[in-house]
Amino acid sequence: MIPVQLVFVLLILYLAIDVPAGLARSPPESLSAIDQGFFQLVANIFSGNWGTTSYSLGETGGAKPLLSWAQVFAYYIPPSIQLALFALPIAAALAYPVSLLAGWSRRPGLDAPSRFVTLTAALLPTFVVGTLVLNALFNPYLNYFQDIPAQGLLPADFWFFNRGGYPSWILYGFVTQPTGFPLIDAVVHEAWTIAAISFTKTLIQASVVAVAYVAIFFRHARSIARSVREEVYIVGARARGVSEHTLLWRHAARAVTPSFLLVFALTIPEYLGVQFAVEVAFTDQSGFGYLIFASLMAGDLSPIIPLVFLIAILVLTWALVVDLIAVRLDPRGVASR
Amino acid sequence: MNEAPAQGTAETVAVPLRPSLRERWARRPPSLGFLVGAGLLTTYIVVAISALFVFRNSLGQLPQTTAWVPPFNPIGPSWAHPFGVMPGFGTDLFRAIWQATPWDLGIVAGIVGIDVFLGFFLGAIAGLNEGGVFDAVITFVCDSLGAIPTFLLAIVVFAGLVTVAPSAVGLPLFVGVFGVILWPTMARTVRERARTIAHAPYVDAARASGASFPRILVRHVMPNSLGPVLAQVPLDVAPIFFVLSAFPWYYNCQLPGGPPTPPNSPPLHYLVPNLPFFSPLPSSSFPEWGYLLGFGTCDGFTSVGVFASWWMYFFPLLAIVGLGLALGLLCDGIERWRHFDR
Repeated sequence: MIPVQLVFVLLILYLAIDVPAGLARSPPESLSAIDQGFFQLVANIFSGNWGTTSYSLGETGGAKPLLSWAQVFAYYIPPSIQLALFALPIAAALAYPVSLLAGWSRRPGLDAPSRFVTLTAALLPTFVVGTLVLNALFNPYLNYFQDIPAQGLLPADFWFFNRGGYPSWILYGFVTQPTGFPLIDAVVHEAWTIAAISFTKTLIQASVVAVAYVAIFFRHARSIARSVREEVYIVGARARGVSEHTLLWRHAARAVTPSFLLVFALTIPEYLGVQFAVEVAFTDQSGFGYLIFASLMAGDLSPIIPLVFLIAILVLTWALVVDLIAVRLDPRGVASR
Repeated sequence: MNEAPAQGTAETVAVPLRPSLRERWARRPPSLGFLVGAGLLTTYIVVAISALFVFRNSLGQLPQTTAWVPPFNPIGPSWAHPFGVMPGFGTDLFRAIWQATPWDLGIVAGIVGIDVFLGFFLGAIAGLNEGGVFDAVITFVCDSLGAIPTFLLAIVVFAGLVTVAPSAVGLPLFVGVFGVILWPTMARTVRERARTIAHAPYVDAARASGASFPRILVRHVMPNSLGPVLAQVPLDVAPIFFVLSAFPWYYNCQLPGGPPTPPNSPPLHYLVPNLPFFSPLPSSSFPEWGYLLGFGTCDGFTSVGVFASWWMYFFPLLAIVGLGLALGLLCDGIERWRHFDR
């Protein structure tokens, strides 16, 4: 099913991007190109032929070959994965107990404020939160690392210039080698200052991402915890004198896990949106968010189709994985499906 | 002995099957949250209507006062300017937000209206028709569209339309595109609820007594699947303002080298509001909360002192969050009112 869904996603993108672009050009030949273009696009995308950028590495206008989008993505993906690996555990550690407690509690004193706070947090545009946090933390951070440039928490090009140029393992300021993950590379090369900067930056960004995402997650997850409260075996266990603490953290917590995983699978696109905005707000020119915003703003939609294709693969695969996990965790769900 | 007269009164007094609205109100008074939400939303609507009358001919244009633009010091909140002044626009922020209210309420109402109409209807059909053709098609479209981040799809579709029909681009088109893109999330949650309701005893009873598919849908499934809709509506306000504010913000202050300026224009030493090429807004001096917030976040942090110019982003943010909270409180209140026992 996933390949069919991916083809459908490509069709939507083809209708949204390629067809208008074809129509905007001179009609006769572009219309015939539109007729066959879709199958060509599907073949290209599935075979990994994602087109080339309009620029090359090194001097512009030189004889160097243009970069392919696959190469560019390979630079941008690892820092985003690093951020997600920090943000998701923080989000889970926040979202799980908060959603469970708020849905479980019959006291209005806990439920109402938590709904109020999370709705407010969900309504705040993430880039504003990111900008506020960045500016609030900037002065202490500046004092700690002394000479971090004013663009943000990631050392910009001239920071390295001031220190005698790029480190040998930093390519073009934001691409690291050999693994591509800034933190791992810094540790591999024993560049402890860079590692500290990368770690702190990622941790701060991850906290902002987590808080913004928990607000989205909570709205869906609260009602699940609430419905578990009414389940027969919970009521039965309570009648037998099982303590509320055990009921909540052993029985209810186990029961909501599959549903929480499903909510997570459903909200991955929203999570990605949050993470992209935070990456951009922190003027972090090393992640997927930067790539998307920069190419949209430049009016260059050519990387959007492969980018969305990658995101769709991630989301659809994860939804499938979660379905499988959920069935294992709670086989009762199979009967009702 | 008392039974006979009591029975007699019970027979003579005809108890109506459905209590009137007033009776229901008296039995179940609405929660405080509902009243606060309804009051807030009413305030927004009153402000919007008053703006329609006050700024009748200049509703879509922010006036610029040259004395307030940046070579002069930024003007903070005071009695003369309750929300301060937005320097790039050269406009009193109170007036700008007031002027923007009818536009923003229109945008939100249009998008959420399309979203609810499509999501509620299609989601309920899919849930009731579980395993059927409708369900398969709707679920497939929802799952596929749901794999793309909303803001990205909205902007991509909109940017594509800009290249093919620049004259058609505007707020109505934006509202239509965004509403059509938002519905899958709504439809999926509604479908989940409708699926369980479709197996409820009363639906089986209705089916057994010969009720048709549309009747079961409208009488039984849709009214009982309202919960997910009410939970989703306030959340759907967030991506709308995210798109409206994030792109002006990025374009005005995050773009390397700054936004492009027209050729032969004199160099400016302060931030001038600019619109990205696919913006739905008609002009760069259009009053709209998201745009004000995006530009204010940009301008507020480039001024001297980190949080010195707080009003530039605080008040547009307050307007947006206030509207979302009003909708949230109202929807939660309605949901509680429907299920007072929970």
